[in-house]
Amino acid sequence: MRRSGAPRTGPDAGAAAMAATFFGEVVRAPCRAGTEDEEEEEEEGKRETAEDREVRRQLARKREVRLFRRQTKTSLEVSLLEKYPCSKFIIAIGNNAVAFLSSFVMNSGVWEEVGCANLWNEWCRTTDTTHLSPAEAFCVFYHLKSSPSVVLCQCSCYVAEDQQYQWLEKVFGSCARKNMQVTILTCRHVTDYKTSESTSSLHSPFLKALKTQNFKEPPCCSLLEQPNIVHDLPAAVLSYCQVWRIPAVLYLCYTDVMKLDLITVEAFKPILSSRSLKGLVKNIPQSTEILKKLMTTNEIQSNIYT
Amino acid sequence: MASRYDRAITVFSPDGHLFQVEYAQEAVKKGSTAVGIRGTDIVVLGVEKKSVAKLQDERTVRKICALDDHVCMAFAGLTADARVVINRARVECQSHKLTVEDPVTVEYITRFIATLKQKYTQSNGRRPFGISALIVGFDDDGIPRLYQTDPSGTYHAWKANAIGRSAKTVREFLEKNYTEDAIANDNEAIKLAIRALLEVVQSGGKNIELAVIRRNQPLKMFSAKEIELQVTEIEKEKEEAEKKKSKKAT
Repeated sequence: MRRSGAPRTGPDAGAAAMAATFFGEVVRAPCRAGTEDEEEEEEEGKRETAEDREVRRQLARKREVRLFRRQTKTSLEVSLLEKYPCSKFIIAIGNNAVAFLSSFVMNSGVWEEVGCANLWNEWCRTTDTTHLSPAEAFCVFYHLKSSPSVVLCQCSCYVAEDQQYQWLEKVFGSCARKNMQVTILTCRHVTDYKTSESTSSLHSPFLKALKTQNFKEPPCCSLLEQPNIVHDLPAAVLSYCQVWRIPAVLYLCYTDVMKLDLITVEAFKPILSSRSLKGLVKNIPQSTEILKKLMTTNEIQSNIYT
Repeated sequence: MASRYDRAITVFSPDGHLFQVEYAQEAVKKGSTAVGIRGTDIVVLGVEKKSVAKLQDERTVRKICALDDHVCMAFAGLTADARVVINRARVECQSHKLTVEDPVTVEYITRFIATLKQKYTQSNGRRPFGISALIVGFDDDGIPRLYQTDPSGTYHAWKANAIGRSAKTVREFLEKNYTEDAIANDNEAIKLAIRALLEVVQSGGKNIELAVIRRNQPLKMFSAKEIELQVTEIEKEKEEAEKKKSKKAT
């Protein structure tokens, strides 16, 4: 352990655990030793000024998750599910999951928009939500007019780690947690899937499920094996449901095409037979047609790959 | 571990992977499907056409290209990389003809392309070509050939193969359906290629492009009408097969 004030020399000075790689880039290796000297050094150099605090405040304000009604442009005073209590909450995260719900569920009934989430982060810069095109990232909430206790969320924007808690609070808040069932649909690239089998025997896209303790129904596909983990907003919602003992199931589709793709969307079809979606889907052939139309209208004309 | 060893092409990971080459193979999967079939007297290349923007000239988006009069190839992956590889291959074909006064064999030009690709996996500052290619043609001895190359620079001869998105599905279909009967005559081989593509193509025959080379004949691209005819025939055969099945069942 070096004493504070001792000169730091060389890349391996002190326990600051910096390492130079083969390419000369300096990489901070994780160090659990936690030296005392480091704290002292930090205090000297990094005292927060008023400017820093102001910047930090502005950034926090910019990154705030706001839930509001698009028609009236007023923000919701309470959390979404407090205002619209539900028994079934279906969340689609990612463009393929969103396309699945759009074609198969939203077309079999009249859905009314009840709210929209506005958030800003490095990957999702939608600030104006009044004129959203279908291709833009968004997060919109609907409920079924004929049965308002069914709420749907179409989320195709990225919710950053620091915003996930806010999102959960603004959506769930202190809503009634009894008699609620949550279904989450999302996609992940198959290269994230860890398995001891040979990857040439994997038939992507394929579906995997992860559920909370209180979810008693059998899921529509096999469960996600260890050591695979779920990331981002789906993980946040599932963890929230596990903590608050809400029965919830996550259907994760591993695919090798992350952009909008017919085969990936169709891989979600087994979920149509689950209890949460059963009553909601009526016309499957028509839905397939609508899905095909969605594909052609949303096809990004990228000429990079042929 | 991958994140430390996947930045430079010239660095092996501790367990022997060249991650950039493996990532290049992922780029290939982003291209639409291409299938190649070697028949007895014909070689067939079928591709899934990319849908073209309204204002874009369709002729400029081509997945099947002739390298010489008797050799052609289809690719999947990065368009720009394919253009560079095709240009080099075409120049090599002519250069070979001028030097040794004989047209290239299919194997020679495949080896040339594969060597070119391998060079780019061993040079610093360059990245591998992000394409896989299916090269078909007839040699002077009249034997049909089909080769496949991938970003690592390996090449193999195949009886039938597929590259690009959903290549696995198509390959499995071919493994089940590539029989001596299926390639008995030219028409059957063409039908097999179309049937293989219909397994994965998103909107039927309209999105299929087909090219054939017959012995001692130049490359022939099928028109949309001809492909539609074949697709209707295939659908008729399917219906008849299903009727037979249901009759047998009752």
